This record gives sequence, C-alpha cells and structure tokens, in this order.
Amino acid sequence: MYTTNYNVPKETFDKLQIAALLGLMFIGAAFVYSATMANDSAALQPWYNQAWVRQIVWYVLGLGLATFVCVVDYHTLSRWADVAYWLMILCLIAVLIPFIGTTHGWGARRWIDLGAFQFQPSEFAKLAYILAGASFLSRPVEELKQPVIFWKGIGMMMLPFVLILKEPDLGSALVLLPTGLVMMVVAGTPRRYLLRLMACVGLLGALFVADVLFAPAHWQIPMENYQRNRLLIYFGRDYKDSAPPNATPAELQRLRQRQLDDAYNVRQALISVGSGGLFGKGWRQGTQNALGYLPRAVAHNDFIFSVIAEEEGFVGSVMVLTLYAVVLFTGLRIAGQARDRLGRLMAVGVVTLIFSHVFVNIGMNIRIMPVTGVPLPLLSYGGSSVLCSLIAVGLMQNIHIHRKGY
Amino acid sequence: MLVVDELKKNDPQLRLVAVMVAVGVCILLAGLWWVQVVSVHEYQQHLETQAYRSIRLPAVRGKILDRDGRVLAENRPSYNLSLFLNDMRAPFDAAYAKLYKAARLAQKDRIAAEEKRVGHSLHKAELKPFRLTSDYLDGLRQQARLSVVNDIVTQASRNIDVPIVLDPKDFNTHYAQERALPYPLLKNLTATQIARFAENMTNGCGVELDMQSARNYPNGTVAAHVLGYLQHDDSSGTGEESFYNYRLPDYKGLSGIEGQFNDDLHGRAGAESVLVNNLGYRQSANVWNKSEPGHNVVLTVDQDLQKAAEAALRNHWGAGVRGSVVVMDVRNGDILAMVSSPSYDPNQFAQGINADKYAAFKNSGAENNRATHENYAPGSIFKTVVALAALEAGLDPNRTFRVDPNPRDTAKGGIYIGRRLIRDTAPPGEYKFQRAFIHSSNSYFVTNGIRAGVENIVRIGQEFHLGERTGLFARQETGGSFPTLDRVRANDWHDGDTANMCIGQGEIAVTPVQMAVMIAAIANGGTVLFPRLVQRIEPVDEDAAEPAKDLPAGLVRDRLTVHPRSLQLVREAMLADVESTEGTGTKAAVPGFRICGKTGTAQVQDGANHLTGYNFWFASFAPYENPRYSVVVMVQSAGTGSGGTVCAPIAHDIYEAIVQKNQLHLPAVVGEAVYDTGRHLPGVRSGK
Repeated sequence: MYTTNYNVPKETFDKLQIAALLGLMFIGAAFVYSATMANDSAALQPWYNQAWVRQIVWYVLGLGLATFVCVVDYHTLSRWADVAYWLMILCLIAVLIPFIGTTHGWGARRWIDLGAFQFQPSEFAKLAYILAGASFLSRPVEELKQPVIFWKGIGMMMLPFVLILKEPDLGSALVLLPTGLVMMVVAGTPRRYLLRLMACVGLLGALFVADVLFAPAHWQIPMENYQRNRLLIYFGRDYKDSAPPNATPAELQRLRQRQLDDAYNVRQALISVGSGGLFGKGWRQGTQNALGYLPRAVAHNDFIFSVIAEEEGFVGSVMVLTLYAVVLFTGLRIAGQARDRLGRLMAVGVVTLIFSHVFVNIGMNIRIMPVTGVPLPLLSYGGSSVLCSLIAVGLMQNIHIHRKGY
Repeated sequence: MLVVDELKKNDPQLRLVAVMVAVGVCILLAGLWWVQVVSVHEYQQHLETQAYRSIRLPAVRGKILDRDGRVLAENRPSYNLSLFLNDMRAPFDAAYAKLYKAARLAQKDRIAAEEKRVGHSLHKAELKPFRLTSDYLDGLRQQARLSVVNDIVTQASRNIDVPIVLDPKDFNTHYAQERALPYPLLKNLTATQIARFAENMTNGCGVELDMQSARNYPNGTVAAHVLGYLQHDDSSGTGEESFYNYRLPDYKGLSGIEGQFNDDLHGRAGAESVLVNNLGYRQSANVWNKSEPGHNVVLTVDQDLQKAAEAALRNHWGAGVRGSVVVMDVRNGDILAMVSSPSYDPNQFAQGINADKYAAFKNSGAENNRATHENYAPGSIFKTVVALAALEAGLDPNRTFRVDPNPRDTAKGGIYIGRRLIRDTAPPGEYKFQRAFIHSSNSYFVTNGIRAGVENIVRIGQEFHLGERTGLFARQETGGSFPTLDRVRANDWHDGDTANMCIGQGEIAVTPVQMAVMIAAIANGGTVLFPRLVQRIEPVDEDAAEPAKDLPAGLVRDRLTVHPRSLQLVREAMLADVESTEGTGTKAAVPGFRICGKTGTAQVQDGANHLTGYNFWFASFAPYENPRYSVVVMVQSAGTGSGGTVCAPIAHDIYEAIVQKNQLHLPAVVGEAVYDTGRHLPGVRSGK
C-alpha cells in the first residue's frame, strides 16, 4: 500500500519528455491555426469558437488531467483499472446504439454527444485497456504460462477491438493489436504462445487482405464501401479490373472517376507533403490547404501532418518525428526504470500506443499506410485524442516519479 | 544518447520494443525523404497543374499616326459588364442549399407515400430509386447558379436600362471551362451606362466593370482602306509560349497597314498565372511575363488632305461612288492621301462584326482598296506614255496632222485601222502635238503610236514599271497588266492591238497608285519612285533604348531614258489641258496654282464585248513650275461623261485644299526645300 501524498523529490518529472511534449503542443496549436484560418468562414468565427483556441483549451484541460494522474500513484490508479475498462466497454456498446452514438455526419458511429462536446469512447478505451491489460499481465511470470491466463489476456484485447471495429473504426481498432502484443511480450508471456499468436494474426491479416482484394462479391467480409475502397486504393488496385467484361466506355469512365474521387484525399495529402520540399513554403503559406484541395474537413485533424509537411518541408517533418522519438524513447527509459512490472507494462503500452498512432497517421500521409481515421497524438485537432494522449503521458510521468530508488 | 542507450539496454524485451520503434521512425523518415526531397519536383508539378491556370495577356497594340502625329488608329478602354464568379460563390451556395432542402423534403414525401402504399418501411434496396443521384444534384447546382445569375442580370439590366439576355448554355459552358475568368454580360458600355452602373450597382454582388483595350479609329471611315481592319485572333505568335489555359481576346490585322505591319503593331503577348482553388475559382493572380506593347506606325498620309480628298469624291458623286484618289508627293513618293470609295468603318470589325454587317460590307464593294487592289483600263491618260514614245521616235510636235471626219458623225473625227473605225471625240481638222493632246485626239495618237512602234511604247511603259506591283501592300496590291516585248512581237499582235493600246484600252490595266507614280515621274523629270506609305515605326515609349525605324523616302526605282525635252513637251501639253480653254481638264483649274493634267475615259466591256460602263480618270500634277503633288482621280460609273467632267472637278477640290493648307502652314516636308508656289504668302518666307 503506497500513500499518495508522500514527499515528492525535486528531480521527479522527466523534463526532456515534457519539453518534447510542449514542443508538440506548440506545433499543434500553430498548425491547427494554419489549417483552419485559411477557411474564410472558419476565420470569421468568434475567437472562442475557433479550432486553435479550442485546441489550446484541450491542451490545458489535458495537462490538468495529466497532473492529476501524476500525483495519484499508479498503483492506486491500477486498482480502478478494471472499473475503467468495463466502463469503457459499456461506452463502446452504447456508442453503437443509434440514439446514443452520433455519426457526426460521417459514415461511422464513433461519438457520444455530451452537448458541449462530443466524446469519442474509442480513444479512452485504448487507455483503459492499457491500464487493465497492464495490471492483468503484471501478475507473476509463472502464471502467464497458464493457457487460461493467456486466453484471458487475448480476450481482454479482443473485446474492445471487436467493438471498435464495429463502429466502424478500423484504424483505432488495429492500433490495439500492437499495443496488446507488445505488452504481452514485455510481460514475459512464453515464446511459444507468442509465436502461435503472431502466426494466427499474420494468417488472419493475410486472409483479410486477400479477401478484400480478390474475393468474389458473396465471399467478401461485410465492410463499409469506403473502407474497402480505401484498402483497394492502398493496394493500388485499378477499379477497372472489377468492371464486368462487357462494360461500356461510359461505365469504365465512371469507374475511373470514382477511383480518382476515392483516391482524392491520399493524392492531395501526397501532393501537400511532396510539394513542401526540403524547407517548406512557410507557415500559413501552404496552398493545398488554403485553396481547399486538401479537404477542409480533415486538414486540421487526420491530415494535419500534410499541412505541417507542406508548410515546413522535410525539415519540419524531421522535427516532428524527432519530438515524437524523444517522447517514445524517454517513455522506454521510464519503462526500464520502473519500480515494478506494472509500471513497466503501462509505460510500454503507452509508448506502443503513441508509436502506432504516429506511424499509421504519418504513414497514410505518405501512402505507406492505408487511410484510416487515426489521429496524430497532440497535433490533430480533437478533444478526446488530446486528452487521452496527455493522460497517457501523465501515466508515464507518474511511473517516472515513482521509479526505482525513490 | 537517449536512443542509443535504449537500443543497447541490457533488457531484451525493452530492447526489442526500442528497436521496433527506431525502425518505425526510420521507415517514416525514409518515406518522407523520398516524398519531400527526392520526388519534390514531381509533386510540385502536380500542384501546379491542379492549382495554376495560365492566361495569355495580349499586348497593347501600337497606334497608327498620320505624318504630323495625329491619331488614325488607337486603343481606348472598353468597359464590359462582367460577372466575377468568385464573388458569387456564397449566393450560389445559398441558392443551392435552398433547392437541396426542397429536394430532400420532396424525397421524404415520396418515400413516405411509397411506404404508405406498400404498408411497411422501405429497406435499402427499395430506397434505391428514391436516392438523389449526383447527376441530379449537379443539375440542382446548375439551376441554383442560373437563378442567382438571372436575378443579378435582371437587376443590372434594370439599373443600367438596357435589356441583357443571359444565354444559359453559354453561361454554363463558361462556368465549366473558364471559371477563373469573368463572364461578360454586356460588352462596350456607353458612358451613360457606365454612369448608371456606378450609381446603382455598388453592392458588390459580383457584377463589375471589366476594362479591356479596344481598337478605335477616331475618324471612322476616313482612310479605312489604308488602315485596314482587325480580326479576333488569340493564337500565339511565333516564338511565343503556345500553351495557355485561357486566352484573353486579341486581334490581328487583316488588311491595310494593320495587316501589313501587324508584327510591328501587335507587340508581344505576356502571361499571367492565376491560382485557382479546388473548385476552380480565381484566388490570386501573378503576371510572370509582362506584355510588350506594339510599336506605333507613322504614315506619310496627311490627315487633312486625306479628309479633303474623301470629301471631294463624296461631294461630287456621293459616298457610295466606286472610285479612288491618290495624292502623292512627286519628289519623294510619299503617299499623302489614298482614297478608296465606298469606304467602311473599321470600328465595326474591332467590336466584332456580325454576319449581316459582314455581308453588307462585302456587297457594298468596300472590301478591296481600289487604289492598289483593283486595276482598270487607263484610257486616254495613257496617251502621256504614247506621247513620250512618239516624241522619242522623232515626232515633230509642230508638224500638223490632219484628223479626218468620222464618216458616220462628220462633226467628230475618226480613223480606220484595217476595217475597224476608231472614233474620235475631237473634231476633224489640223492638229499639232499639243492641240491633239488637249483634245485627246485618238486619230493623232493612234497614227503616231503605230508610227513610233509598239515596242517603243512598251519599253517606256516598262520604265514606268507598269504591270508590276509598287510594293505598298504585300497582299492587297495588284500589278495590273501590261504587255511584254515578247507579247507585242508575237504574230498574233496586230496594229489594231497597238491602236487599242494607244488609247489606253485593250491589254492594259493599271492601278491609281501606278498612275500617280507615272505622273510623278513625268513631273519630276523622269525619276520613277517607289511610293511610300509608312515613314517610321517607333517604339511607344519615347525613352525606350530601341530607336525608331525609319523607312527610306524617295527610293528610286528607275529613271526614264527619254529626253528631257520630251518630258517638257508632255508637261506643257498637260498644263494646256487644264489652262487652255480648249482643254478637257479645265474644270480642275485653281486660280494661282498651275495644274497640269490629262483626262481619260475608258470603256468597260463585259465578256461579250458589251459596254457596261466607264472608268473616268484625271491624272495630274502641280504646281507646274516646281512640281510637288500628283493627284490621280479615278471614278467608275455606268453613266456617260468624261474624265474632264467627272474627275477634274474632284481634283479641283483637292488642289484647293492643298493651296489652302499651304497658305496656313509651312509645308511640312522632311529635309526638302520649301517650294515657291508662284505667290508670296504673307508671313511665309519662301526659299531655302
């Protein structure tokens, strides 16, 4: 039993990580501003309604929550892990119910409307899963050898995965997999289980891709059209191949147009990033966003990296990546210095989660990943994502504060 | 270092995670390097093609000035009432939103009705036919735009009090293809309309005045054939960028000086690139290649003389008369006036001529420049050449020649060549050279022409370069026709043909400009000049480094090989033709200004040798003592008359204008002596 109010020594926070964090938040506010102020109607909003101000409010709120998370010992927090986990599972189920979940005008049902703002449970579910998963896996290594425990661990991961997939939010669901797997690896799950698991996941993944690409219509996994299209685009499939052999030129033309339309975001993101060049065009000088080629609806959230890369160039991209790398590696350092396996697992979970987000999001901007609605931590506009990222970092700091030797 | 520490950590599990993270970051770095540094040009290219539209900006066309720098053709701002589509996006969107809402409601109603009919709520497949297709929504957008534009057009047409008709098809095409450019509603607003617009339409609804440069000929029909006209032509010139998304209206000269000197007048078009947003609306513009204005062309034409010559022709025979006047400086070949009637208004072409007007232009006979582009039988004015040939061949001007009476009309003379009778307008009797010349006796000149030999006539005609173009216009000039020596030496050339030629008919056709050159050579002592219409091509900007280009004056084409005495005899005879009471050209006389002339009347026959009309001529120069002006008047007419009655009065008016002008101003002649006109003018010093 640890007390929450014990004397905090002076050298407690990981200052390097916090500095990187502040840097990211600064960039985030600056480019949410750049991405939204190019739009006349957005610029005419009262200041308190403007996206960049709201983003800063989220940062402040998030920092407050992070501080709160810091001062309460993570062991105390982990006692509430199961409660948080099941609460989030409830939320994920609730969001699927039409009258509670809202689609926000998009195809997917991902938000719960709380009046002042919309709350995206999948973001918090990832955190809750890390907490619960870490406390579950922090049991003695011997116990992890039991198949029951192994399967329970898998189950804990799959439950939110399936629910999020159902929203549908393929990207958010997929980032749970590496997070869970890495935590299992670090927890010391026996190698044979892991290998089998990896083989299973790999096989399922391959089957999934093969199904999307090659299966005849009645064999296809039920999936939203836009999701299938994004994957087809990602794998470079020509829509014309799916045309019936007796298609008229007009039909082929329509298919080609549809392919262009579906690939539009990716193409524009690539043009944004690529045309930025080495040094970029300067803050607020990017034309892709200002002229609306990069769709306004996504420029400040999922595709914020395109805006940064266009305006600050390769140099800016490297800077952003460096800041993330600092956060990630300090996170790993924290994991290494953690007092116990619980702290170590939590830190590793958070690092993997952030890394997955960064990799998937930046990857989709340069077309090495398919387009999914995964936000870029701290840079993308959006309350849930910002709060979760900051709480997650707060967790790492908490582990750092209560590290070995203190 | 942080990263290295983590990668070297003696903790296999965490090291694995660290390696994974490091590899991931490296993959992203490599990808970004590839996209942002290696492929940067490719993506910048993509950006440009999707976001930039290039527009060709025509240069300001050079002016055409008369010899004293007065404007004959210039550019004036022309105001179009245009729709700036970029400013209309909000009303377009609002109108569409309204239509869309209505469409949605209608869709709901239809679905509700269908559900009522089938008695259950429709499922996905059943809903399909009720879906609003994208084509349908595009139609709605189009409808919304048209309704907004129609409202504005109605408002605008009420405000400026002109009915404006919006062609929906034209508008839609413009919207689809040239969204970044303003859409013209009404072209060439009058000053009143502009004032009304400024008063009533200041609410920034997307209608604005759009200024363009328009060609303007301030004198209307004056010198129309010299100036020529323009045709709409946006194509790129040689050595110019040929790819443009849009081209602003540009023109090329088709005829006259506008056509001949198009390259100088036109200038070099510039280019502008316009940044357009994802919807194709104009966002900002950047001129990356400024246009270079065309050069001014300074003519030798004197606007006053030109107007006087046109007025003279018009006052005697009306604006519709088919005729021509050429006034040339006999000393240097400068064309001072060149008239072709009927004339046309080149402004009509500059503003875009419609098919009806163009047909009227074609039918009016105004298309060709009669001074250079059409040729006519010279009639008796050709007797000047025959006279020269005969005198050179040894004709004694004082020897009398008997003109026999015409057996069918004994009051007039006549002569038989073979079995063909050539009638004379002169009465029978004794004729010396000068009397025969001023009576224009056919018998005399036919007899002496044949006696001198056709080859001598042809040789002198060739020295005048008859049958050859003078080089004034590349495309709008004919050389006329004149037999060659080979032709007259051929077996099928008979004395009858020579006789025909001696009276300026048959195988000979000339242009008024050729006649002016011919008369000038007789007047100036035998120098055949190249006529000149353009004296200088100068840059618009006077400070420009590029100097003005002068075209040489008084370019000599040939010198007559005839004896000066022969020329003097012809000049005296021409003087007598105007000054002697017996002369045919007395109507041209101006007191105090000694005019030398020769009248001519050529019959025009159709293919079946039926007489269809006459070409009347008066070819002259003045003053006798110090020849300076040659004035050639030609009128085509179906009616009867003679060169003396039809054309000499026109020449008279022109000489009067010349005298008046010379009394008012010191003659403005480049580098030449001021000629004494025989009188001492008050305040004007004569001499060098």
